Amino acid sequence: MTTTGNSRGAQPALEVSGLRKTYGTQEVLRGVSLEARDHDVVAILGSSGSGKSTFLRCINLLETPSAGELRIRGELIGMTTRRGRPAPADPRQVDRIRARLAMVFQQFNLWQHMSVLQNVTAAQIHVLGRSREEAVEKAEAMLAKVGVADKRGHYPSQLSGGQQQRVAIARALAMDPEVMLFDEPTSALDPELVNEVLRVMRGLAEEGRTMLVVTHEIGFAREAADRVMFLHDGRVEEEGPPREVLAEPRSERFRQFLSGSLK
Amino acid sequence: MQVLADLATEYWRDFLAGTWLTVQLVVLSSVLGLALAVPLAIARLSANRALSGAAAGYSLFFRGTPMLVQIFLVYYGLGQFEAIRGSVLWPVLREAWVCALITFVLNTAAYSGEIVRGGILAVPKGEVEAARACGMTRAQAYRLVILPRAFSICLPAYSNEVVILMKGTSLASTITLLELTGMARLAASDTYQPIQVFLLAGAIYYLLTLAITRLFARLEARFTRYMTDAR
Ligand SMILES: Nc1ncnc2c1ncn2[C@@H]1O[C@H](COP(=O)(O)OP(=O)(O)O)[C@@H](O)[C@H]1O
Ligand SMILES: [Mg+2]
Repeated sequence: MTTTGNSRGAQPALEVSGLRKTYGTQEVLRGVSLEARDHDVVAILGSSGSGKSTFLRCINLLETPSAGELRIRGELIGMTTRRGRPAPADPRQVDRIRARLAMVFQQFNLWQHMSVLQNVTAAQIHVLGRSREEAVEKAEAMLAKVGVADKRGHYPSQLSGGQQQRVAIARALAMDPEVMLFDEPTSALDPELVNEVLRVMRGLAEEGRTMLVVTHEIGFAREAADRVMFLHDGRVEEEGPPREVLAEPRSERFRQFLSGSLK
Repeated sequence: MQVLADLATEYWRDFLAGTWLTVQLVVLSSVLGLALAVPLAIARLSANRALSGAAAGYSLFFRGTPMLVQIFLVYYGLGQFEAIRGSVLWPVLREAWVCALITFVLNTAAYSGEIVRGGILAVPKGEVEAARACGMTRAQAYRLVILPRAFSICLPAYSNEVVILMKGTSLASTITLLELTGMARLAASDTYQPIQVFLLAGAIYYLLTLAITRLFARLEARFTRYMTDAR
């Protein structure tokens, strides 16, 4: 295995192939594949219950896939079976991989007992092993980037939803992730706060960050994404460049989905 | 009132010594008990059936039997085991106050373990996921997110447990220890004034309870600030 430094770009940042996930008897993902190269922004659309969150959560192994392969920069995530159920072969590999894939959640999930600054420095210090000074410097830069630098001493409960989500994005950015996973980052926000978060995400897309974004914001998908993936019932129903597939969806279901959403 | 004042002048040294022993027992038992309660709570939540079963059994035993029975079991029971009598620790384990301390620690650990377990379960799942999602190990997630969060959630219930423990330490008097209650019993038989003596002891317990609740109110204000300072 080569180091990330010199293999960057040569290998796709993320390769998912034939991903399946079953809960009991219900098959939630039925073979989903995706390749994200550096700077790709992939918008993942689909109606509620189509498996979008499960897909993202399988990628960073918050859920264990039932079948399929995951590669991060070419490194295959080893799977095995434990007590008859699939499980990651090496927990340390999982922790290492997760540190390279940052996740932004619908409900922000900031650590409530930590200040904004601590939220952004904790994983830098304890997971990446950065010094406190280095972590604080990085955190301040990232908080400034998302426009909440003045809130560094506040607790999350003192912030609006939009501010909290921007702090969560700063927390993710501070890890210098190879891929950022967003699970409906604006769905829990009051309508007037959606744009401040979308603006930050547009900026990240323009900067060339590699991002998978589950969203209901068709406008964002059209303008910021390189590729759109429409999930239906655990399968990729349609995929392609946003301008093509959003303007002329081939699948009837995708057409219905698009006419159902307001934008 | 006059009698109380006389008692205080004559027996204040004894009451002070008794109170001091009570305070020592409470502080040591609650600190050691909490240190034991945390691994106990984590064990109860473990996916490993043997581990969680053992922790649950422990908790049931100590919550299901009276502390007086437990203290007798430790005090009179330990010496029944040849292995313990023969061990280098026997001179220590023979001491009444060590027996009392062991009982209080084991007992309060069982109750506190339940409180900590409740606190851990009350930590929002999303915050734990966020910790794991950024690459923290399970141990790091516990140390940085779950336990600090659980701690502030548990504080009010835990404060109550310390108050109950403090009153429970009076049982140490049954195995010859002269803590506050033990001293009061002695003074009562000396003076033939049990009512006055136990009134005084009660007043001191009451003041100790007040001190404990004050202390925890401070801790709560400090450690739940993040919840109460909402915008
Ligand atoms: N932990 C779980 N246990 C059982 N079923 C689940 C679980 N998580 C998700 N599901 C089911 O999987 C399906 C897809 O869920 P999800 O990935 O959350 O969809 P989406 O994010 O697209 O709305 C839903 O039918 C949901 O009920
Ligand atoms: Mg979802």
